[in-house]
Amino acid sequence: MSKTSSSPQSKHLIGRRAWRPAWPARPDRVLRRRRYFGSKRSVLKLSGQFNPKTLKREVVLTDKKPLFWLFGLFLLVAIPTAVGSERFLSLFGIICIYAAINVMWTLIMGTAGLQSFATLATVGVGSYGAAYLSITFGLPWPLMLLVGLVLGIAMGFLISLPARRLDGLYYALLTLGLSEFCRNFVTQNEALGGKFNGALFGAGRIVPSDMLTTRLGQTLAFLTTFVALLVALGVFRWINGGRIGLLLKAASTSKEDESFASAIGIDWQRARMIVFMVASGVLGALGAFYSTYIGGTSLQIFSLDLLLLMLAMIVIGGLGRAEGAVIGTVIVVGITQWFTDWGPWRIVLAGALALLSVLYTRNGLFGLKEQMREIRTRRQALHRAAQTTKYAEYLPQQAPDIHDKSLIAGRTFERELREKLRGWITPEIIEEHRRSPLGQHSDHLERILNYFRKAPIPDKYAVYTEVPFQSYRVVALSGLPGVPPRIVDDKTYGSLDEAYHAVFMRRINDLKAS
Amino acid sequence: MSILKLTGISAGYGPVRVLHDLDLSVEPGERLGLVGLNGHGKTTLLSTIVGLTGWQDGSIVFEGKEIGGRRTHGVGRKTPGIVRSGIALAPQGDAIFPGLSVKDNLDSGAYTSASWRSRKRRRDSVINVFPPLGKLLKQTAGTLSGGERRMVSVGRALMSDSKLYLVDEPSLGLAPKISMGLVAALCEIDIGEGAMIIAEQNLPLLEGRVDRMLGMHAGEIKLDVGEALGDVPPSAGGMH
Amino acid sequence: MIELIISAAVLASMYGLVAIGISFTWASIGMLNLAQGFIFTAGGYAAYLYAQTMTNLGITEGPVMSIGLLISGMAGSAIAGLFVGSIAFLPLQDRANFRTRGLIATLAISLIGTQLWLIFFGPQSKPLPPIFGTGRIEIGSGGVSYSQLGAIVIATLMLTAVIMWMRSSRAGLQMRAMMMNPLGAAVVGVSVRVTGMRVLAISGALTGLASVMLAQTFFVSPTSGVQPLTVGLIISLAGGLGSIPGTVIAAAIVGLAEALTARYLAQSLVPFVLFGIVVLILVFRPRGLGGLLEDVRE
Repeated sequence: MSKTSSSPQSKHLIGRRAWRPAWPARPDRVLRRRRYFGSKRSVLKLSGQFNPKTLKREVVLTDKKPLFWLFGLFLLVAIPTAVGSERFLSLFGIICIYAAINVMWTLIMGTAGLQSFATLATVGVGSYGAAYLSITFGLPWPLMLLVGLVLGIAMGFLISLPARRLDGLYYALLTLGLSEFCRNFVTQNEALGGKFNGALFGAGRIVPSDMLTTRLGQTLAFLTTFVALLVALGVFRWINGGRIGLLLKAASTSKEDESFASAIGIDWQRARMIVFMVASGVLGALGAFYSTYIGGTSLQIFSLDLLLLMLAMIVIGGLGRAEGAVIGTVIVVGITQWFTDWGPWRIVLAGALALLSVLYTRNGLFGLKEQMREIRTRRQALHRAAQTTKYAEYLPQQAPDIHDKSLIAGRTFERELREKLRGWITPEIIEEHRRSPLGQHSDHLERILNYFRKAPIPDKYAVYTEVPFQSYRVVALSGLPGVPPRIVDDKTYGSLDEAYHAVFMRRINDLKAS
Repeated sequence: MSILKLTGISAGYGPVRVLHDLDLSVEPGERLGLVGLNGHGKTTLLSTIVGLTGWQDGSIVFEGKEIGGRRTHGVGRKTPGIVRSGIALAPQGDAIFPGLSVKDNLDSGAYTSASWRSRKRRRDSVINVFPPLGKLLKQTAGTLSGGERRMVSVGRALMSDSKLYLVDEPSLGLAPKISMGLVAALCEIDIGEGAMIIAEQNLPLLEGRVDRMLGMHAGEIKLDVGEALGDVPPSAGGMH
Repeated sequence: MIELIISAAVLASMYGLVAIGISFTWASIGMLNLAQGFIFTAGGYAAYLYAQTMTNLGITEGPVMSIGLLISGMAGSAIAGLFVGSIAFLPLQDRANFRTRGLIATLAISLIGTQLWLIFFGPQSKPLPPIFGTGRIEIGSGGVSYSQLGAIVIATLMLTAVIMWMRSSRAGLQMRAMMMNPLGAAVVGVSVRVTGMRVLAISGALTGLASVMLAQTFFVSPTSGVQPLTVGLIISLAGGLGSIPGTVIAAAIVGLAEALTARYLAQSLVPFVLFGIVVLILVFRPRGLGGLLEDVRE
């Protein structure tokens, strides 16, 4: 790489430079990307670059997200294992399970773009089905998970049937009632513990119940929930970052996008259904896992309040993003499970947080960065426009939408220039030009002429010689090859100087009118 | 004093700027024709007056009261107030209420309490202007033909006791004969001390009927109507 | 048989009131008010507070009590509706993604609301004094209690009154105009914000009426709004959002289905039958029954 190569930052817009961690590279070694086993995805997005300041080669980490994820997940597993109190472990266990459910819900709402509220209904069906079979037939936990998966897929298939016909909000309404109906069904069904408020106990556990009194057992139980979260995140990544996720991105935002996607041959409905079924299957399995984790299940899983609380988690974190779902869950579950002595106020607090994030943020906690940046650029543009308001070609509210700021500067300059030149046009100047169109001129006239000379070719005035030394005309160039200039008016001029002056007058008039 | 005075009006939608630093004033008792090709900002100008564009900047003084100012969001939030202060707009296309009867559609135009009380008389006078509506009062507005819908839309604007009437493209999508009748009826309405702005693409329709004609070209007012319309020769009689 | 019809009619009229509130709000301001359950409970508690005050003053029955209960319930719900509007409608109304954000905001309100009721009134169900007395009229083989009859009559009267008012008054005209064409409404001087709040208050009042009358049998509790909300939602959905006749017909169908299922099959199957019916309706008419009626009209 030579020293003269252009700055690597030049592809970024003026104003902010992207901050990226960089460290020196060994010049004798080739940069080799590591890839995940069996796939072409690289573990870290690295790129080599030349640092114009230190004149050294560097390796730059373009995408810092994997590091954040790694760090966050490490904290999630390290804090409770290190502290090791029963309350802490169970709190983080619940966080992991809810986060896993929320990640799958994000997959449905964000990636598939289906506004479905049937999440907890699916989880509940998986949970009740697995718990019931385990209690009645003594199913071991691997089979319970399998049952949950199958039930989830079946549920997903049933729920997805109306989705083909219904609009987004209609579908949301339809599915919102679903968990309430399931709750009713369980209450009135004796086999499912309707008499005991829907509580089922004695289902198989992954960690045997006699171990649960020890710290090791509790830690193991927590670790299983962490694995469940990892599985959910893996599925999210696999679907959302894969081909199907890409296909659905084309169709996810609006009705027009859907039509456009079908027009370019994307079967988004099928892709949507696949995502929905996969997510539902995982949700069912998570339900079964929940049964194995607490050794049974209860009606709480179908309650509208829990559904709303989970929605609050997603909304606080930021709809459509896995990190948002996890962080939102940590916040809300942290509040609701840790401050138990606050009574109902803690749920009020969670709801208020959700309300605030809907009212004041565009997309929760993780949309905040973007929103702040937009507010800042807007404010800067307003400030800049206020300074140059006299000359600004664009309205300040428009300026943030124009990425190339040099366009604004250029237009402002041109306008300023025109205004200045216009002030210089006096009868004396015109008289001076009339006397001698060519040759030395006064400073002002020279500058005006220079401005005229750099005008673009299309519609630029020129002199056309009809008969040399006898008759001249003013024409305007077409600017297109092969297209002759058009004659501007029917006046002819006897001498070249007269014609020059006529061209000059036309340009002066145009300048005055601009 | 002019009834409406626009100074330095810029307006647009999102990143698009449609009107560029435009000045205009309308005198009482004046019927103003606004001609210009499609997409040159006639509709945007009328919407700006009632605050229906995406954003706007510049001063709009209506009867000595400022109704404009800088606004970057809140489309239509001020519209009801502006409209109630005495500006009636018959928007482009039909912003009529398809499920309501013609009578209800007309009545909805009488939005000040004074005009609501006298709505029967006003309805009759609208029917005087547009006789075909008389037979259609009970019919659902959604089932009308294009010309009848336009009559309802314009008639609804006439139901109010406004000082300023803004009529946007009365001829759009209508058969020449019908639009001729519609514009003729519009131009015969007694506006008293008020004023009327008719935006129209079709120059011959307005020629000789309005007091003053202005051309619009690329978001700016051109006194020369011909320039705004390309090759159509400017009318001698319509100019002030 | 008569009992069956009566109980179906009671259910239909109660659910219908809630559903029309939801449907009405959606059609005129484009917001799905999922805080309708909260509004429902607000009416119940307002009536409960009124009953408490009256009992303390020594009045336990009579017209003052009955009419006061109805009015306080309606007022409580109307105020709750305005409250929901000022939080979820006014600030969001002309921002991006209003529909989704309004939906989430109302859901958050409903989450908070339930907990607030829990804090202030405790988890126990609160009974209301009987509005229509405790008597019974015998008709043929079956009979109908005063409260059932009262519920049907009052609901019908109220609904008719609201529809008549919508048809004839100026405010009603403005609301109907806004449902059809918000832009056109703005042009004729209808303020979306003012009219929207008005709509929320009215649909709140309807819901409050249903709340007070349902409280005769089911009492008032912090979560008593959930069932009416879900059933109201699916009725308004099946009826076609925004269509009053469609909603009334859907309410009748759902009420009948619920009464029939509870009588001849099992109470536990009621939710599934309702859900199945609604899905069936929606599969054939994705816009609900109201869409059907509109097609016929044209």
